[in-house]
Amino acid sequence: MSLREVDDSSGYELAVGTYEQARAMVGTRAEVVFATHDVDWALVRYFCAMVRDGNAGYWDEDFARAQWGGVISPPALLMTWVMAPEWQPGGGPPRTLLTAGVPLPGTTVISTGCEAEFFRPIHVGDRLNVEEELVDVSELKHTRLGDGHFVTTVATYRLGDGRPVARYTHVLFRYTPTGDTGDTGDSGDTG
Amino acid sequence: MIAGVSYTQCYWDDVEPGEALPRVDDEITYRRVIMNPATTWDYFPGHHDPEYARSQGQPTIYVNTMHVLGFVDRFATDWAGPRSFIAKRKVALQRSIFAGDTMVGEGRVLDKRTDAAGDGGRVRHLVDLEITVKNQHGDLCCPAAVTLELPSRSRKVAG
Repeated sequence: MSLREVDDSSGYELAVGTYEQARAMVGTRAEVVFATHDVDWALVRYFCAMVRDGNAGYWDEDFARAQWGGVISPPALLMTWVMAPEWQPGGGPPRTLLTAGVPLPGTTVISTGCEAEFFRPIHVGDRLNVEEELVDVSELKHTRLGDGHFVTTVATYRLGDGRPVARYTHVLFRYTPTGDTGDTGDSGDTG
Repeated sequence: MIAGVSYTQCYWDDVEPGEALPRVDDEITYRRVIMNPATTWDYFPGHHDPEYARSQGQPTIYVNTMHVLGFVDRFATDWAGPRSFIAKRKVALQRSIFAGDTMVGEGRVLDKRTDAAGDGGRVRHLVDLEITVKNQHGDLCCPAAVTLELPSRSRKVAG
């Protein structure tokens, strides 16, 4: 268990600290996280039902076998395939995201951007693993939502045999809300 | 074949830079935002707890990153067809899409090109798309850039 101070209101156990402490972590690579389960067709279909994506590669086994060698996952579900259940029998809590472990003053987080490159399709039945690296923590920035820091990680997702499927850069804004709720006006971007 | 599923495919040879993609309007109810945690296992409270969302400075719960990405990808492949591969996708999440909003997808073809940067140096037939996700008020929420690998008339996309 970490002895570091955390803010748990988000459920993500955000490490609390200073910008200098966060900067000192840039370049940190988290240990590889291995998925606890395979890419699953049921979840693929539930996700596609939510998004209303009728792509035959996700729904039609015969089509997908001929085109891709099997049913594939929507690329947007990439991150889900390495998420661990919140509780496991006899096990401790799952490892939190690398971003959550970066010590900063902000009380909450919001995604502000991402870039993904995909090298091959992700198939139902694959089991992925991911290696994350902290690549940047910005200085204090002012936005419509509040003041905070942009935290950038790069994650490489691989198949069990080591072949990469995707490289995913994610920017999360770690901030303290200014308190004027509901302002979605034209005073600028979130990020 | 599944009835109601489109198998129509764009071929790289036929794509014209400047071509507009069909607009998509998608109404985001509370129910669909709550489906975010259910279908992506992302339990961050901003996507299911309005009180928490308000504490973040947001008016209510909002669509998660994966739903936005899924919408962008769907917008691209609904146009291009299911034999296309999403090679690259960049999205800026500038404004949230809230429960009760409508996501509006618009886009156009910026460029078409080939490269040999794919797996094993094979030639890829690529199109670059410029996509915007706005809300029902016309506010730009998520500008995106997507690169699709398309089949050409002589070559399919490798599985």
